[in-house]
Amino acid sequence: MKKMLTAAVSRVLSGVTQKPASRVLVASCKYSNNATFEIKKCDLYRLEEGPPVTTVLTREDGLKYYKMMQTIRRMELKADQLYKQKFIRGFCHLCDGQEACCVGLEAGINPTDHVITSYRAHGLCYTRGLTVRSILSELTGRRGGCAKGKGGSMHMYAKNFYGGNGIVGAQGPLGAGIALACKYKGNNEVCLTLYGDGAANQGQISEAYNMAALWNLPCIFICENNRYGMGTSVERAAASTDYYKRGNFIPGLRVDGMDILCVREATKFAADYCRSGKGPMLMELLTYRYHGHSMSDPGISYRTREEIQSVRSKSDPIMLLKDKMVNNKLASVEELKEIDAEVRKEIDDAAQFAMTDPEPPLEELGHHIYSSNPPFDIRGANQWIKFQSIS
Amino acid sequence: MAAVAASAGWLLRLRAAGADGPWRRLCGAGLPRGFLQSASAYGAAAQRRQVAHFTFQPDPEPVEYGQTQKMNLFQAVTSALDNSLAKDPTAVIFGEDVAFGGVFRCTVGLRDKYGKDRVFNTPLCEQGIVGFGIGIAVTGATAIAEIQFADYIFPAFDQIVNEAAKYRYRSGDLFNCGSLTIRSPWGCVGHGALYHSQSPEAFFAHCPGIKVVVPRSPFQAKGLLLSCIEDKNPCIFFEPKILYRAAVEQVPVEPYNIPLSQAEVIREGSDVTLVAWGTQVHVIREVAAMAQEKLGVSCEVIDLRTILPWDVDTVCKSVIKTGRLLVSHEAPLTGGFASEISSTVQIPHISNVI
Repeated sequence: MKKMLTAAVSRVLSGVTQKPASRVLVASCKYSNNATFEIKKCDLYRLEEGPPVTTVLTREDGLKYYKMMQTIRRMELKADQLYKQKFIRGFCHLCDGQEACCVGLEAGINPTDHVITSYRAHGLCYTRGLTVRSILSELTGRRGGCAKGKGGSMHMYAKNFYGGNGIVGAQGPLGAGIALACKYKGNNEVCLTLYGDGAANQGQISEAYNMAALWNLPCIFICENNRYGMGTSVERAAASTDYYKRGNFIPGLRVDGMDILCVREATKFAADYCRSGKGPMLMELLTYRYHGHSMSDPGISYRTREEIQSVRSKSDPIMLLKDKMVNNKLASVEELKEIDAEVRKEIDDAAQFAMTDPEPPLEELGHHIYSSNPPFDIRGANQWIKFQSIS
Repeated sequence: MAAVAASAGWLLRLRAAGADGPWRRLCGAGLPRGFLQSASAYGAAAQRRQVAHFTFQPDPEPVEYGQTQKMNLFQAVTSALDNSLAKDPTAVIFGEDVAFGGVFRCTVGLRDKYGKDRVFNTPLCEQGIVGFGIGIAVTGATAIAEIQFADYIFPAFDQIVNEAAKYRYRSGDLFNCGSLTIRSPWGCVGHGALYHSQSPEAFFAHCPGIKVVVPRSPFQAKGLLLSCIEDKNPCIFFEPKILYRAAVEQVPVEPYNIPLSQAEVIREGSDVTLVAWGTQVHVIREVAAMAQEKLGVSCEVIDLRTILPWDVDTVCKSVIKTGRLLVSHEAPLTGGFASEISSTVQIPHISNVI
């Protein structure tokens, strides 16, 4: 630090630089390497102690999280635009507002851990390693998409990421099964099984809780509570809206899902708990989605614009992280703006690709139905069209 | 267009084979392999975005039920539900998001009119919704449950098949859940893909004890839905979702009933019988018109309306007259309901066809 200062001062005095002296001095000690933050204490259920209430955020991590969240935000907004231009058809469920959940979860686990979620999955697809290009072109149904254009919005998969599931709640028992495989293989991995506040009322989620607890599976059940199950608010759908307690015999945490550091610490805590063989844990992330349930839902017939605006101005996850970083000298506003510009460019390039990449060839429509040795024929939409099914 | 062209093409080959002779071949099963072409030969452009083509053909305005109003399918459903709730004080409507009007606007205004005790949202639990509905029905109240998409009916499959269908039988008629009606949007819509397009009527056709009904139009929907609600057996009413807005007709404002288990011959003909239900009826109607115009083939078009128990007599009588049968449906081919119809029609003592 001192060396840099001296060098800077001498540069100024030698008259080489055009910058005014004060600015050079400020520039060289502008950023801290890290800062300590206090985070909200999580509500606990059946737990003696919870995640730590302070955490250290390094500048490097902060910039990484910011970029990831901004990428997800811009990607979702671009998907909105492409949907309205009819490049994306079918159903499209956007997760803008919930970025801190996906990025925070990823920050708390290893790439070798497993994740499974519902249909509001684009953010997790990105954090699990898919490129924006492959996500957007899957949305537009092109061959560059991660599911070769045949899956669409709800069916995107990656290594250690099991989708992307359309049927509400169906991924609960699947996640418990993946956790069983982790335990059986003894590789110290955990499975994050995400579902929403609506799915929490599905019977099969309770079945998954029971199996996970009975067999001590390393499964972290995560309820992304964005207050509305499609058009029904949580108060009108659930006898108990304390979703973190709904696991009954499974210990639970209620986490502020708009604060990425809170999510990260809670995830690390839950993952350590599961890895130590103590069985499953339930995390409820309190979050919010700005868009409606899907692109067919305006999102304002069951909630007010004022409510959406209020969350956007007070608890937007990207804004919260930005304020933390700028106020603690982890980054400057200009630097973050540069990241914004980079992200915008990346998204625009990806969207361009997604709009121009060709669709998968029609011959592939029948592939991957069965795993079979000899290819067989399958009938198309009318009896004179047949597709070869090869796997 | 593809579907229409396909059916018309089939008829062409039929004609070429000799329309006079007693050629009793059924759609699909017996066609020689040579008729099939590979997908790429057919042409990608022709395939794309045309398999959901149909033109809704409204029926003439009904005169026997009093004043009519222009309604589309979802409005006809709302009207039927409105009539039911007005007539039957025990009737309740429940399902996911029905309170604000439902995702397809089938229940708009009903909560305001009849109160939140009678039109209410359930949590997201199909098995729970149907099980709960069976419970209401067993006590004698009228339960009208909504499953948001037919694709989501499978968690409730056990409740429907094992509980609802067999209640009367296993209790020796002491109890029944006949006042249960399950309504669900059904069928392809063009952009629904895996989980918003399914036509599961064949799964339920395999289960005695329930009734399965699919209307083709707003007028049919209101009459059939009212019949389902009043029928003393648990009924599943599948509403073709692509017709919710696309189908507009004059529909009577007052309640009326269309009998269940009665197929309707909507076009008389002498050369071939075409059977369909739901949206496909309109495709088949178009095919019949094309066949008459271009091939001189006279087609008899039957809308099956009730899938279970289905009107064997009407279909067989028609096949005896024409000697040929073509069944067209949206659901997958293998094990689809067409296989039931085609095999029944071939039973000698039932139809004299063979």
